[in-house]
Order: sequence, then structure tokens, then C-alpha cells
Amino acid sequence: MQIKRTNFIRGDVATVPASVSLGALNNGFLWAKTADFNSDVDVLNYALTLEYLEAEFYRQGNSAGLVSGKEREYLDAVQSDEESHVATIMATVQKIGGQPVAAPAVDFAGAFDSRESFLTTAHVFENKGVGAYLGAAGFIQDKAILQAAAGIFGVEARHAAIIGNLLGLEPEGGVYMGVTETPLTKDAVLKAVSPFLADAGAMGDDAAVTL
Amino acid sequence: MTSNMDKQIFDGQPVVAIRSEQDRRSFLRSALIVGVGAGFVGYKVGDPTSGSRASAWAGNLAKPSAKGDLDILNYALTLEYLEAEFYTLGVEAGVLSGRELDLVTPIRDHETAHVQAVTGTIQDLGGTPVEKPKFAFPKGTFSSREKFLATASTFEELGVKAYHGQVTLIDSVDILGAAASIAGVESRHAAILADLTGGEPFPSPIEANLPMNAVLKAAMPFIAA
Repeated sequence: MQIKRTNFIRGDVATVPASVSLGALNNGFLWAKTADFNSDVDVLNYALTLEYLEAEFYRQGNSAGLVSGKEREYLDAVQSDEESHVATIMATVQKIGGQPVAAPAVDFAGAFDSRESFLTTAHVFENKGVGAYLGAAGFIQDKAILQAAAGIFGVEARHAAIIGNLLGLEPEGGVYMGVTETPLTKDAVLKAVSPFLADAGAMGDDAAVTL
Repeated sequence: MTSNMDKQIFDGQPVVAIRSEQDRRSFLRSALIVGVGAGFVGYKVGDPTSGSRASAWAGNLAKPSAKGDLDILNYALTLEYLEAEFYTLGVEAGVLSGRELDLVTPIRDHETAHVQAVTGTIQDLGGTPVEKPKFAFPKGTFSSREKFLATASTFEELGVKAYHGQVTLIDSVDILGAAASIAGVESRHAAILADLTGGEPFPSPIEANLPMNAVLKAAMPFIAA
């Protein structure tokens, strides 16, 4: 019955018993592939790239003068959160002896044409970020890093909900994305964000997130 | 801190009424066991990455175990019971309308589904789900939009901290994933309720956490003696 995280990370997926599949949740932990992440540094650098992308996205978007009032306050706070995530993750990678990846070159194309395009793109980023953290969480071995990653994941979910509400989307499916959050594999996340990476190959290495 | 929380939740009036003296004793017993275990955990509320807590945690963490996972799930179940009943009564009370009602009604549905999901998970693991306590919400809780939403906001923030307080104590990766997938939804609720009540939807860049004994301590004064 026991699933040890370390065993799992060694790649012995077949030993995960079906009986613990949490069918009631209809939402098994989507285990990506064991090859997705070889170490906590890999997971953190994957997260760091997404946070770079988000921080730069809000920096540009908030500079474009598309929103005002309470919306502006909220989006300034979101930008500040993403910048804090970048700093936190960089420091953590260094603390555990890794090399933080460099920020990718980005191109947000027409995302800042209007308030709607800004918020709609933000909504996509936030929800993909939620799925990315959830999909990668099971690969994290260090408990303190797991605590921090989970804490960031929750904040991305807050961002996603508020931005969905600013857009006036349907509560279910726009503000909330169901009874449980849905994990995303690294492949799915990369596919979603690749249009915004000027060098589309930047995160494409399957063996590890080398960048 | 605890006394502030006591005041925030139902003005310190009892919300949990135990069905019988036997039930009360068994609730207190499990709370005490939980309290002892959690006492070994070096958690602090706030940003878990600040300072040098990483190494402190490594030495202080209680050992995750399958039995511990069942205890954690039953703890989560108790909180979900409370939320599910709270929102069921609040939505029925008819104090909300329009977009607010549209935003809060799915929260009721989520909490009800969480009760079912956590119950099913406990059963899948061969455990026994705790029974739903009898809740007694103070008069007036559902009589105004303001009171209902303010209480809801307090509950959601407490629920988020409760889930995040268990992250490093869960043994099974599948249960970790399931619990996290619920916690993320609670974060969405918390943000929306903060927005509806003029609060802060993004109180910190990283979710804060509370150990089980602190969350239970917040509930203890409401247990009818």
C-alpha cells in the first residue's frame, strides 16, 4: 500500500497500486514521466522558467496602461508575487548547490493589445502555472522545497480565480476549474507556453531542464 | 493569535456541538493525539522559504506514515464537513444574489464534493471516516450577506493554512497530490471571498500554513462541554 516518494522517483511506476488511485477524486496525480525531472534542481528550474515568464508578462502588461483602479491594484500585486517567486526559487536553487537557469527570451505578441487580451492571456498563464506545480510536486524530494512549491501553487490558484472573475467568466470553468485542480505534465505546459518563448527550443530538452 | 481567531469565527460562540459525551471524549482524545504529534513539527506561520528553516524542519519533522495519512485525511474531512454544512445553510438562507450568489453556490458544491472525495479516499485506504459532527452555527450567522461572507472568508483562509500545514507530513504521493488538488481550490475560494468582502485576495506570495494543533485549537473553544 505504501508509495515511497523516493521509490517513485527512481522510476518504478509499475509498483503504484491501482487501489490507491483515488478514484473518488477522479483526479489521479498525473505523474508526467519519471524522466521529466531528475532532481529538485530540475523541478525548480522548470518552475523558475515559468515564473520568469509570468513576471515579465505582468511587467510588460502593467506598463501598458490597460487597466486601472482595483484591477490595477490586483495586477500589481500579482506581478509582485511573481517577482517574489522568481527571487525565492533562484535563491533556493543556489542554496542547494544548483545553477539557476537564465530567463528565457520572450515574445508576448498581441497580448497587450487590450485589457481583454492582457487578462485572457494572464488567465491562461495562471491556470497553466497551477497545473504545472501540481504536476511536478510529486517529484520534489526535499520537504522544505515541497512546502514552498505548494505555497506558490496556492497563490497561483488565487491569481487564476481573481483574473477569471475580473474577466467576468462563468464561475465554474472560468473562476474555479472544478472540484479539484488538474495537474499538467511538463509536455503539456511547454506546449501551452511555447508560443511566448522567442526560442521555442528553450525548454524542449526531455532529459532535463537544462536551458 | 488564537484568541483573535476565536473572535473572528462566530464571535466565540460554539459551532461544534458533540452528539454525546462519548463522542465528545473521542473527539478530544483524537485532538490531543494530533496535538502531541504536531508539537514535534517545527512549523512557523508565514513564508516557509524565509530564513534558514529548511534545515530546522529536516530535524523536527514527524515521520510521515500511512496511519498518519489517515489521521490527516480525517482531519481534512472534519474541516470539509464544517465548510459543506456552512455553505449549504448560507446559500439556502437567501442573503446573496446575482454574481455573488453565482460565485458562492459552486463553493458549496465543491465543499460537498470534497467531503465525498475525502470519505471515499479514507475508505479506499482501509480507514474509517470520522462521522460528521453536529454543528451549531450561532444565530445571525446567515442573517446578513456581510456576516455570512465574512465568516466564509475566515473559514477559507483557515482551510488553506490547514492544508498547507500538512504538506510535509503526508506519506503517500497520491494522497499528497489529492490533498494539494483540493487545497488549490480552497485557495481560489479564499481569493474570491476576500474580493467580495473587500479583503486582500493575495495576502502573501506563498501560502501560509498552520499545524493541526493550531487549527484545532481554533475550533476547541467552540466544542460544547
